[in-house]
Amino acid sequence: MINWANFISQCFNGLVLGALLALIASGLTIIYGTLGVLNLAHGAMFMLGGYAGWLTYTYTGSFVAAVIAGALFVMLVGVVMERVVIRYFYTRPHEDQLLVTFGISIVFVETIRFFFGSLSKAVPPPAPLVGITPLGFMFYPTYRLALLGIVAVALLALYLVLYRSRIGMIVRAGIEDSVMVDSLGIDVYKIFMLVFGIGAMAAGFAGIVNAPVVSIAPDIGEGILVQTFVVVVIGGVGSFPGAVLGGLIAGEIISITSMFNPGYSYVMLFVAMTLVLVLRPYGLLGTAGRE
Amino acid sequence: MRQVMRRPGSFAIELLTALGLIAAPLILPYLGFTPTTINRILVWGLFGIGFDILFGFTGLLSFGQSAFFGTGGMVAAYLLTVVNYPDVITALFIGMIVAGIVGFLIGLIALRRTGIYFAMITVAIAEVFYFVEFNPLSEYTGGENGLPGVPTPVLSLGFTHIRFDNDRSLYVFLAFWFFVGMVIALRIVRSPVGVILSAIRDNPLRASAVGHNVHGYKLTAFVVAAAYAGFAGGLLGVMQGFMPPDAFTFDTSGQLVMQTAIGGAGTLFGPLVGAAVWLYLSDFLQTTLQLGATWKLVLGLIFVLLVCFLRRGLIGGLKDLYVLIAERSTKTSEPAELAPLPALTPEEEKVTRLALAKEPAPAPMPALHRQDDDAYSGPILQATSLSKRFGGLVANSNIDFTVARGERRGIIGPNGAGKTTFFRMLTCEMAPTSGRIVFRGRDITGLNVTDVCQLGLTKSYQVNQLFSGLTVRDNVIIAALAELRGKFRLDMFRSLRRIPGLDEQVDHTLALVDLTGRADRPVAALAYGEKRRLEVGLALASSPSLLLLDEPLAGMSPAERIEMVKLLKSIGQGRTMIIIDHDMDSLFELVERVTVLQEGRVLVEGTPAEIKGNKAVQDAYLGGVRAA
Amino acid sequence: MSLLEVEGLNTYYEDSHILFDVALKVERHEVVALLGRNGAGKSTTLKSLMGVVTPRTGSIRFDGQEIAGQKSHAIARAGMQLVHEDRRIFGSLNVEENIMLAGLTAQNRWPLERVYATFPRLKERRGSRGTDLSGGEQQMLAIARALVREPKLLLLDEPFEGLAPVIVQNLLTTCRKLADEGQTILLVEQNISAAMLLADRAYIINNGHIVETHTAQALRDQPEVLHRHLGV
Repeated sequence: MINWANFISQCFNGLVLGALLALIASGLTIIYGTLGVLNLAHGAMFMLGGYAGWLTYTYTGSFVAAVIAGALFVMLVGVVMERVVIRYFYTRPHEDQLLVTFGISIVFVETIRFFFGSLSKAVPPPAPLVGITPLGFMFYPTYRLALLGIVAVALLALYLVLYRSRIGMIVRAGIEDSVMVDSLGIDVYKIFMLVFGIGAMAAGFAGIVNAPVVSIAPDIGEGILVQTFVVVVIGGVGSFPGAVLGGLIAGEIISITSMFNPGYSYVMLFVAMTLVLVLRPYGLLGTAGRE
Repeated sequence: MRQVMRRPGSFAIELLTALGLIAAPLILPYLGFTPTTINRILVWGLFGIGFDILFGFTGLLSFGQSAFFGTGGMVAAYLLTVVNYPDVITALFIGMIVAGIVGFLIGLIALRRTGIYFAMITVAIAEVFYFVEFNPLSEYTGGENGLPGVPTPVLSLGFTHIRFDNDRSLYVFLAFWFFVGMVIALRIVRSPVGVILSAIRDNPLRASAVGHNVHGYKLTAFVVAAAYAGFAGGLLGVMQGFMPPDAFTFDTSGQLVMQTAIGGAGTLFGPLVGAAVWLYLSDFLQTTLQLGATWKLVLGLIFVLLVCFLRRGLIGGLKDLYVLIAERSTKTSEPAELAPLPALTPEEEKVTRLALAKEPAPAPMPALHRQDDDAYSGPILQATSLSKRFGGLVANSNIDFTVARGERRGIIGPNGAGKTTFFRMLTCEMAPTSGRIVFRGRDITGLNVTDVCQLGLTKSYQVNQLFSGLTVRDNVIIAALAELRGKFRLDMFRSLRRIPGLDEQVDHTLALVDLTGRADRPVAALAYGEKRRLEVGLALASSPSLLLLDEPLAGMSPAERIEMVKLLKSIGQGRTMIIIDHDMDSLFELVERVTVLQEGRVLVEGTPAEIKGNKAVQDAYLGGVRAA
Repeated sequence: MSLLEVEGLNTYYEDSHILFDVALKVERHEVVALLGRNGAGKSTTLKSLMGVVTPRTGSIRFDGQEIAGQKSHAIARAGMQLVHEDRRIFGSLNVEENIMLAGLTAQNRWPLERVYATFPRLKERRGSRGTDLSGGEQQMLAIARALVREPKLLLLDEPFEGLAPVIVQNLLTTCRKLADEGQTILLVEQNISAAMLLADRAYIINNGHIVETHTAQALRDQPEVLHRHLGV
């Protein structure tokens, strides 16, 4: 007999996790869609956001400041990374791009380990969001509820930027045909830098807002990276709606299977990914030709 | 650029490896390597040999090798500890086989995609295996504790037992298996399979188009890498006396990738060198420089710098340096580059062409292997009602097209006529929306490029599709191998020299396209006209019954055009050819009949003279501007 | 000083030599046609001018400035605009977004009303996504996008290809009107009759070489010239 309160609770968890994964995967997918580069350092950027936020929180005591710092710091890291390294790899084979972003992720992780050690650090949720909230027949951690809202707002903001703003229009056009954008007088290399920054920021923001839930450690990015990849494969590379859909699916899969057996959640995720690969090779919402 | 054919009887590398392995334990300790470190280097080196075949030779970057390393290691360790299976060596082999089988199953999933997707899937695989090993299967794998008590190997020789139970003797054991692994790997990369893997890395499209089952070979490389990983995993357990769970981690895969890149991918020894650098530096940085946990940061930075600036790794860099020095010192003795062709204006070209047209045709060079079936006497190619639609756009509409054996046919048409689409349907690169294609009496509609090539229909491409990392000879070898061995053959241990008829076929093809003198040059060193000839050569190497040529004269200077026309004339003797080109003058010299396409349909067919005088054709090209 | 002066232009695709010392001139307010068979190098010439491919050697002087080797976006800002032969409209954006995007970095921008006045059909379809447009509508959009930037020189790469005769007629009329209003155009076309209706002058390119140049009238008087190079 399933404990229904537990089940609903897990579904909620899945929603929260799913929204988070959707946000991170959106960042990864617009970077890949526009620049053609798969950022293996994306998980590390999630981790960096958490640390930048934690550091700010330690000095200011303000959670809001921590979130802003986390997001902005990682955006800066993304911009610098694109300017200093990635831009020289656009014409190099994909494998080289994978190798260099992988190497950079190691550097990020080990740098944090050097400064802050390997033990995890806690980031408490802001005072008004501590504790649990009664939701009818069950209780649910208040912060997680708020987190759902926060991430939903962030996804909405990303959506508005992509679909309702000028810069978003340029980015979407760039994902489709960056050469043509260049022909219309817009310097695509500046766009690339911006896209990398925004994509990184999505990961960094996710890292700090999720910190009160899981606490931070140098290696939390690794698991996130894998889950993000699965989301992108399921949803379709280069597609923002695909990242959202894939994220929600992945989040629910992980949460619900962990109800029965935590070890199997990864296996189920992998099975889902395999199914998508076999039945719809380009992802649920992806388009052909985006290899 | 790698030489594929080896001088007969040259086992220099194997000999040097053996010598190196013998000398290592005598020299390395003085350089600061501890015995344990040396043993670890060997295990990583062996692990990396398989990975290098997958990544360095086939071009598939996998971040999931830890899955097979751990699987092989756990199976072997489980047999030896829990089941108490007596023989270490057999247990290692069982572990390897299991890893290979798992590799096959995983490969079926992972290899459905290439490039970025493939990398992402392998990352996921690594994580999944780790989790499974850690949780659901922890009673078999010991979970986070691993499997302790793995015994050291014992070799019983009847009268005595040799125990490999200290660092020294373990070294002998490990070095032996490394040597065996290296010898096998060298055989594999020198075999036809090895050459084809290199071709797949360079140009998978062309490898498939010249008749190789690319997916099958990729899967083979994947399984080989998994097997090496599995065996090495077993050795790890034996060496440490304990099978650790972190063999399965993503970190392990990542370390393998970094070590291989540092040492140099595509060299087989790269992983060994990389492991030596990695493990030595990690020792050095941690103990001598007292940097503690920062060693990984330093190594990570070194890795990033290497990827940016020394992409081919240490061995690759040394090779490049050697070549640079060698070239500099032999500059005077280098054979002079072929004199460039004279630059001709179009008028001069026309005059030369008219003069050459009067010359007698060169002696025919017939197809070597494939004799046209006299059993089938009908047209060699017959397309009926062939149509192709892309959504609302109709590219080809109801085309009927028949070519007789031995005919030389041209296809022309203004822009948008659908010539390229039509060609791609004939080679089965693209499936028609409706209609049928019959080749030598056999319905080939819906087959794929590889199968059609094996049946004797090949194409030379408008944009060169060569194996650019290899020599001219190697390029032709790859194409010829497909005809001699079929779509897929697992002859990994066969030497290239032992393929009967290969040398003959290659030399014959090189002579046909006049590249005999340039056979050992790398493709990058060829002039454009020579590359175009090689392009045609690749299509010819499998002795096709029907040769399609897609704009063979594209991008050529007037002088190059004349050479190419001469060449195509000599190739055309006794061979069926269909040519698309826009250079009317050249084309009409080469073909007997011309099909004119317009707006996806056949407009008219006839001899060149008839076409020239045809009003409808003139209109199609000139859009209503009439000659006076 | 001509608006466009090209000399000694050599363009390669990798090591495939496509353009051999191409030279041509376009004066202000002229319509010049570049005629030639498939594969002759017409498209490559326009792409070299626009910086989509980088010529290996040669000089391109546009409005007094040397632009050979510059990036496309800089050339676009200098006042040249290319309508690609495969149109390349942004399918995931709608008509109005396509037009607005084009105008973002333009110094003098056509107001939207003027665009819609020139292409009434686009006004009807202003909210439709690029992928939902017909071939003719896509071509109109591609040209509208270029015009929004008020280019000093408009490059048209086979604008009439693959379109129904009625649409070709429609487009011809629009282009004729633009030319009459003073728009300088360099037009690449295989549809000779359409090209001759618009052009004042023509260059003929054959296998990457410029082989002839004549006024439109001269070509109409001597059709065998066209036959020789463009016919069969």
